[in-house]
Amino acid sequence: MSRLSALLFLAIMASAFLLVRTQYESRALTTELDRAQREARRLEIENDKLDVERRAQATPLRVEKIAQEQLRMRTITPAITHYATDTAPGARP
Amino acid sequence: MSSRSVQYTSSPLLASKTPIWRSQFIVACIALGFLALVARAAWVQVIDSAFFKRQGTVRFARTLELPANRGRVLDRNGHILASSVPVPSIWADPDEVDRDPAKRQALARLLGMSAQELDRKLQDEDKNFVWLKRQVDDSVAQQIAALKIKGVYDRKEYKRIYPEGEPVAHVVGFTNVENLGQEGVELTFNDYLGGRPGSRRVIKDALGRVVEEMGETVPPVDGRDLQLSIDSKVQYFAYEKIKEAVQNHRAQAGSVVVLDVQTGELLALANYPSYSPNKRGVLSGAQLRNRALTDTFEPGSTMKPIVVGLALEKGLVKPETPIQTAPGRLQMGTATITDAHPHGVLSVNEVIQKSSNVGTVKIAMQMPPRDMWEMFTQLGFGQKPQVPFPGAVSGKVRAYKTWKPIEQATMSYGYGLSTSLFQLAQAYSVFANDGALLPVSLVKVQQPPQGVPVMSAQTAQAVRHMLGLVTIPGGTAPKAQTMGYSVGGKTGTAHKTEGKGYASRKYRGFFVGIAPIDKPRIVVAVMVDEPTAGGYYGGEVAAPVFSQTVQQTLRMMGVQPNMAVKPLVVTQAEPESF
Repeated sequence: MSRLSALLFLAIMASAFLLVRTQYESRALTTELDRAQREARRLEIENDKLDVERRAQATPLRVEKIAQEQLRMRTITPAITHYATDTAPGARP
Repeated sequence: MSSRSVQYTSSPLLASKTPIWRSQFIVACIALGFLALVARAAWVQVIDSAFFKRQGTVRFARTLELPANRGRVLDRNGHILASSVPVPSIWADPDEVDRDPAKRQALARLLGMSAQELDRKLQDEDKNFVWLKRQVDDSVAQQIAALKIKGVYDRKEYKRIYPEGEPVAHVVGFTNVENLGQEGVELTFNDYLGGRPGSRRVIKDALGRVVEEMGETVPPVDGRDLQLSIDSKVQYFAYEKIKEAVQNHRAQAGSVVVLDVQTGELLALANYPSYSPNKRGVLSGAQLRNRALTDTFEPGSTMKPIVVGLALEKGLVKPETPIQTAPGRLQMGTATITDAHPHGVLSVNEVIQKSSNVGTVKIAMQMPPRDMWEMFTQLGFGQKPQVPFPGAVSGKVRAYKTWKPIEQATMSYGYGLSTSLFQLAQAYSVFANDGALLPVSLVKVQQPPQGVPVMSAQTAQAVRHMLGLVTIPGGTAPKAQTMGYSVGGKTGTAHKTEGKGYASRKYRGFFVGIAPIDKPRIVVAVMVDEPTAGGYYGGEVAAPVFSQTVQQTLRMMGVQPNMAVKPLVVTQAEPESF
């Protein structure tokens, strides 16, 4: 009888330690998950921010200014455009 | 070694002299103490456990808000017109803030306010949260953090950024500091764009890390992206051109509307003066007004093609029907209708080409007022535009029963009724679209909508031919011509009303046109308000803006020129080998 009790006692102890350990691991994983999620959100926001910045660098106003002033380009007109017709079969008119 | 056994119980040394009940009393006390503990434990764990559980939760559980993003506003090609980015906002707990004047001085300087102003904000010590400045630059927030002032914190808030700035400001509008739309599509589509923040309950440990989730998480619902029909490039140069025209002619203001004829989409809607939505320090009403939609005016001669179109539709005249306009004056009761120059006999085509008031009135007076009213109403005049925009006005067309003959006459050349530039552009789209009126859309359309027929295709084509004549030499607007594309349109120059009458030297110049005229793709309407230098006629101030806008827009849309252009492309010929 006392042997069985000792065995059960050991089993309970093992189970209790395992529980504590699992709880600890679960918490560590939750922390990790939360950190990763926060990082994902931060990166998403960063991405949005960079998208906006990229667009701000490519506004027609800026493009035109640089094209004219730095690259010495000029607006095209039909007079300086050669229109080619695609004669390949299946080409759109 | 021998020992003598001693019976301890009977040891005389241990014989107590105190009475036995004292020890029993102590034992009872201890037992009572344990009983009290058991009772307390039962109380805490069984009877009042809810209260203690709650108190415990309060100490380690936190509700975290999961912020939702406001949707972006995009142009038809997916370019960002408005997007939200997080920026720091500075707040303080007045109770805690450092009293050191030097530090406060530095803080005030970084916040861009006076030390007195800052002190005033920090005066109310009853509160433990005061915004010092919302939505500051990252660099400013970093400098403030570097000051390490106790009780001053920063917090992320969403700020709306408008990368395109001024040109598209009137269409997109802006939001307030709480992220609620205040103007433009930001206001109209506020519910569509706005998200709903979520929340989650978590347990945090002593280091502030989330260690466990509790209960249900409410996921945040992000706002949806809104794709407009606006093309940011078309919008940009329409804005640049009208800005140039307003400045060159020293005018009060100007507007341009560009419509895609085939889909009814609004490609551009630009007004000058405008404002930068990113810097809204001081804004005047004049800058904020989306004139193309909110200002009404008498459309002047731009009304004539509509009246003539109606007469053609009713079979009252043909394009070649001669109309006597000499001597350039027409008496109606006590009023006299005059032309700028006397013309003699003109065909209906020429009445439009030369913009003869007398000719138009003679055509209009053959029709009952009801027919004219019906046509105006069908074209959307006096009706609230279906476009979802705050403050879009309906203009004014009075009920035909109240029209006097002289009023019917003046309405035929655009006085006595009012419209917005947007409505005018929409009305002209009927000529461009072979007589069908398409609903105008501000949002990109996937399927072109079905048009409502207003007039026959033949009539629309006949009117288009007349509009084409306006832009050739002999018409009122040769300046509307473009290189490579055939265009057509109608000029308008209207006296501005002032008080009860017309101002003698204040005008509005208009041009509403279609391009390419034989296979229309776009309608462009231009209005210049009170030009004071370099002419004031629509053909002089508005037609050039039309021409430039059309030229660029059609090129952007990839429309091939339909007129012969003398090519300036010189290619080097390959030297022949021999």
